[in-house]
Amino acid sequence: MVMLIQTPPEGIYDELFDQNNRVRPSCRMLEDWLIRSDEALLAEKRREADVLFQRLGITFNVYGEDQGAERLIPFDLIPRVISASDWQRLQAGLRQRVHALNRFLFDIYHEFDIIRAGVISAEQVFANPQYQPGMQNLKLPRNLYSHIAGIDLIRHNDGDFYVLEDNLRCPSGVSYMLENRRMMMRLFPELFAKAPVAPVEHYPALLGETLRAASLNPNPTVVVLTPGRFNSAYFEHAFLARQMGIELVEGADLFVRRNKVYMKTTIGPQQVDVIYRRVDDDFLDPLAGNPDSMLGVPGLYAAYRTGNVVLANAMGTGVADDKAIYPFVPEMIRFYLGEEPILKNVPTWQGRKPKDLKYILDNLPDLVVKETQGAGGYGMLIGPKASKKELSHFRSLLQARPDNYIAQPTLSLSTCPTFVNEGVAPRHLDLRPFVLSGKKVQMVPGGLTRVALKEGSLVVNSSQGGGTKDTWVLEGEEC
Amino acid sequence: MLSRAASSLFWMARYLERAETQARLLDVSLTMALIDVPEDREEQLSVPLLVTGSRETFHELYPEITPQNLIDFLLLDDRHPASVFSVIRSARDNALHVRGNLSADVWESINLAWMELKELRHKGVTESTASRVFDWTRERSNVFRGAAYGTLLRNDAFHFLLLGTFIERADATARVLNIRHHMATKSLEGHPTQSFFEWTALLHSLAAFEAYQNTYGHNIEPMNVAELLILKPDVPRSLHACLEEIADLLEQIESGEARRARRLATSLYANIRYGDREYIAERGLNEYLTDFLQRIQRIAGQIQKDYMGWKQ
Repeated sequence: MVMLIQTPPEGIYDELFDQNNRVRPSCRMLEDWLIRSDEALLAEKRREADVLFQRLGITFNVYGEDQGAERLIPFDLIPRVISASDWQRLQAGLRQRVHALNRFLFDIYHEFDIIRAGVISAEQVFANPQYQPGMQNLKLPRNLYSHIAGIDLIRHNDGDFYVLEDNLRCPSGVSYMLENRRMMMRLFPELFAKAPVAPVEHYPALLGETLRAASLNPNPTVVVLTPGRFNSAYFEHAFLARQMGIELVEGADLFVRRNKVYMKTTIGPQQVDVIYRRVDDDFLDPLAGNPDSMLGVPGLYAAYRTGNVVLANAMGTGVADDKAIYPFVPEMIRFYLGEEPILKNVPTWQGRKPKDLKYILDNLPDLVVKETQGAGGYGMLIGPKASKKELSHFRSLLQARPDNYIAQPTLSLSTCPTFVNEGVAPRHLDLRPFVLSGKKVQMVPGGLTRVALKEGSLVVNSSQGGGTKDTWVLEGEEC
Repeated sequence: MLSRAASSLFWMARYLERAETQARLLDVSLTMALIDVPEDREEQLSVPLLVTGSRETFHELYPEITPQNLIDFLLLDDRHPASVFSVIRSARDNALHVRGNLSADVWESINLAWMELKELRHKGVTESTASRVFDWTRERSNVFRGAAYGTLLRNDAFHFLLLGTFIERADATARVLNIRHHMATKSLEGHPTQSFFEWTALLHSLAAFEAYQNTYGHNIEPMNVAELLILKPDVPRSLHACLEEIADLLEQIESGEARRARRLATSLYANIRYGDREYIAERGLNEYLTDFLQRIQRIAGQIQKDYMGWKQ
């Protein structure tokens, strides 16, 4: 029996089929495998994967549901393929972009060149709630702020990749990239014998190298700081700590004495040099941020200011991945690096500009409106999918607080064959590669591919019912 | 290593050992209740409650002692903190805290036990299916131990885990021996067959029946049983074997400064190692074991203070 693979709707870029519904050269091997599989086999493999993920405990907590309710992120068995040449370009573009963003962060906490040059207004930087005045003039090793960045990309109709969002605070999801690969190799070893898939398994080693390079101490003690096991990404924090062979700590495991940070160990206090923190800025130190925070360490901020401990990522990086700053990233690349941006931005209208606001209000049913502070797919409007009531609700929100919103055209995210109830059908997806900045900027070939499992849906967030796929960057051009 | 991680590993192992002890105790009691004369049945059934000091909790929740009520209370009741269900849940909670210190195999063995137990509890356990659950508990315990010995790095994380196992085991052996030895000695006045079953029940509760036969043959003598479970270093659940491990582990664990727990354990170990059956007989088994229980609890408390306690 030959499996039927549904072809994508017209006008949408599909990762497997070209516009004439011919299989792309990079995907021939995958298609060959798919048509020879059958639904019963795929369904069985999917059950096997679910059992394995449950046993591994790769679950996440959904905010708003019962505490302790653990769910699996749906895993799709059909990988998403990226050709070697596409990856080359992506990699160059990501390096360039993250490099510029780190330069920008250094600049807005030191010299303010970009503001004096008039590229971006002072108000937009300094009035941004994510801007941390306390970070001004603080000297950080290698002038690095975002050691770990997750850049969200989509592929548009024209076949080109666009950056949708930069995540420079505590980007998560990398454990899924690694576990999805492990799962695929376990379920379909025969596929990997044939396909020249680039490895991603060395990510924890690169991360460890990056974190050690974040300190001036040649042999630093590095820890992972987690908010604890009720956090939605706790599994990932534990996973990365174990893979790197370093301690996973909670706020209560650390204390500060004479502006130095120590962890409480069985043999007494041990000084900590680098904290890979997966706790937000505001919760790091109850003396400096949210006084009710039980997640942080009293005195940590002072120790950080003294230079006795490195935080990765640094405090105050949120200002650079804010949706209000996003439209300026291509300008940053030109300004700091004197280069043309390799990766495109999605065209963005800013509510704070009267002309843009008028355009947004006039074209609301065609646009995606996002809160500048929002994350995780909460608080956004997808114009073409919205009801009249939702449209008028957002219209009044926009008029009340235009500064809080940006709008973008509804982009057609590319699709990829996905195993769903209806069989193997095209579903929309995005891509989050992880970019590490230490002595140099590095990344593993691949990233986290998130897929919207509902037909036609463009929301890929796991909190909104999205799933994930293994991401294959090919080492050769064809297979 | 982190103090909190040491504490979680210690407790994780204690809880898992406790699950196994509970299952063995209840298994033996249910079997004995079938053999026993009706008027002694309730006494048989209440042994697991006596050993774990949970008789009051039981009576708050259940009207009478029946096999089914005991199964519900000791295996599945989430209101009872020492039920198999509750201790495996606590073990998994602790395991979650120290996932970074566990191998994938050890974590999976605990997580799988928890998932399967939830399923078992959902289906319910009756008198006729209880033995399957006892087998299951022993099996899960063996898988955990196998995974721990086979895949964990021999560092302090491993040492604290074993410390939890052996502290719990020493405590359980002393409690079971104390209560069941008393019952079996009483039964010597009754029918010889009944008495034989009482002694084998004691040995089975501590997985030491074969060990006894190997060492002393078929004839069961009260003082031999005490000697086997207290003084013999080659019996896995004897107090001697447990204390040897505990003293040895505390010797291996990296210490910052002089540690009291180490001194207390070494001293108790020496008492047992150089003890003899005459001394135990002279002092009286009950008094001997009561003293032992106090000392092992002091050691457990001191371990917490020495390695895991941090005043804020």
